[in-house]
Amino acid sequence: MSAKLTAKIVFGLALSITALSGTQASADSTLERIKGRGKLTVGLILSGAPFGFIDPKTQEQKGYNVDIAKALAADLGVELESVTVTPPNRVQFLQQGKVDILIANMQYTEERAKVLDYVPTPYDRAGGAAVVRKDSGLKDWADLKGKPVCISQGSNYAQPLAEEYGAIVKGLPSQPESLLALQGGNCVAAVHVGATVGLLLQDRADEWKDFAIPFPNELIPSDSVIWLRKGEADTQKALDESVKKLHASGKLLELAKANRLLNTKYLEEENKKLSAK
Amino acid sequence: MQDMNLTSLFIELMARLGLNYEFLATGYEAQIWRDGFLTTLYLVAVTIPVSLIVGLIFAACLTSNRPWLSAPVRGFVELTRNTPTLVQLMFSFLVLNTVVSNMVGGAQNNPLSPFFWVVAVVGLHVAALHAEAIRGGIEAVPSSMIEAARGMGFSPFEIMRYVQIPLAFRSSLPAIVNGLISLVKSTTVGNAIAVSEITYASIMVWTQRDNVVELMIVLLAFFSLINFVVARVGSWVERRLAIPGYGL
Repeated sequence: MSAKLTAKIVFGLALSITALSGTQASADSTLERIKGRGKLTVGLILSGAPFGFIDPKTQEQKGYNVDIAKALAADLGVELESVTVTPPNRVQFLQQGKVDILIANMQYTEERAKVLDYVPTPYDRAGGAAVVRKDSGLKDWADLKGKPVCISQGSNYAQPLAEEYGAIVKGLPSQPESLLALQGGNCVAAVHVGATVGLLLQDRADEWKDFAIPFPNELIPSDSVIWLRKGEADTQKALDESVKKLHASGKLLELAKANRLLNTKYLEEENKKLSAK
Repeated sequence: MQDMNLTSLFIELMARLGLNYEFLATGYEAQIWRDGFLTTLYLVAVTIPVSLIVGLIFAACLTSNRPWLSAPVRGFVELTRNTPTLVQLMFSFLVLNTVVSNMVGGAQNNPLSPFFWVVAVVGLHVAALHAEAIRGGIEAVPSSMIEAARGMGFSPFEIMRYVQIPLAFRSSLPAIVNGLISLVKSTTVGNAIAVSEITYASIMVWTQRDNVVELMIVLLAFFSLINFVVARVGSWVERRLAIPGYGL
């Protein structure tokens, strides 16, 4: 094995990696392609009501995210094709062109905005709520200091919980495991999107009668936005107009209520603001 | 300061290649990622001896003539060999651990950590594989040799200790090294119950930063390196223990 050969291999690897990551910088033909195909391919996360889930009776995909995808496709005058994604693969699906856009519980963060583009008008604002045992005596986020807190591995609560509140964060594969770990006493709190756990505590009151969501504020309420590949200005503009339209007409608010989102304050504000124009 | 400069130089260089390692410059994410490497190494270092010792005990039980020793171990080996490690781990942590907590009067009294469950589940799973390999080795010891040992007045335990195990260990060593390599890979199931080993740390970073490719490259290189070392040590032991002329 000579040094020359090693250098060649390293160079080859580097070259192929650059080629791989270079694919995302293509011209914006997505909007034309969507219209040409007559299909909008949306990456959706089906992690539970009210955002996205499979109805056990009809096997249909339901939820707020699914409904938004349908409304957007209808507004663009195309059909909806939905693709189920998970937190580890969603961005790859988008960058490899398997989906056109992501409506996948992804909040706006600065880091993400470096890699992807997003539709500037958010479709929701979501923050984290902590489910804790009623007899735990925990009253606010600061009480979690030094205590084990369960989250699901895709959520963006790890950093604020660890850095701001000093909690010991335990990321489980998804929400059901995290909640099971809470019930088993492996964590003192499980932090998830407020709307999801709020609904769970209501719907399965019997199973969850010893638990509550006692903290007054939500953790890092942030904007849920639609994500797309970098540089697709046309698609971004078209979708932004659609989302604004859905806000103004009250359609988003209606969808949120139909899907039983508990906190629709943000949507109501947006509706007022945009319908006044 | 020197360290900081090296990190930012690395980030800069990788960015030119189109790779995003920016999280290394942050506090929390860089910290859990660095700790992830150590936790994986620690996990491997603890689980390998556990699997070897338990594997040896299992093999001794399996080849014993006493059914009360061999039957339970046979049952355990079948169960653990035939079910996925991930399912065993989830079951242990989410069900058994809860049962233990209830028995000792609350989770705060339960000393069993997720780390313990990974060591126990992966260690015993691989121990079952070792046991089968060693059992094969024990049964391959020529019966004339055991008879000779018995003739010299060795007790059954002494025959096991001085004749069967030394020979069985040598002949089953390649299979044991294979088992250890799969053990190293199996430690990654720990991410399912939030043991902060390196795949867990990577998942926590890439679900926020979406730099899956970058972290995958490091993960693959890291595990290749560990297993390269394990395989090398294995073949070194094989050479050291070889009995000239015996063919083992």
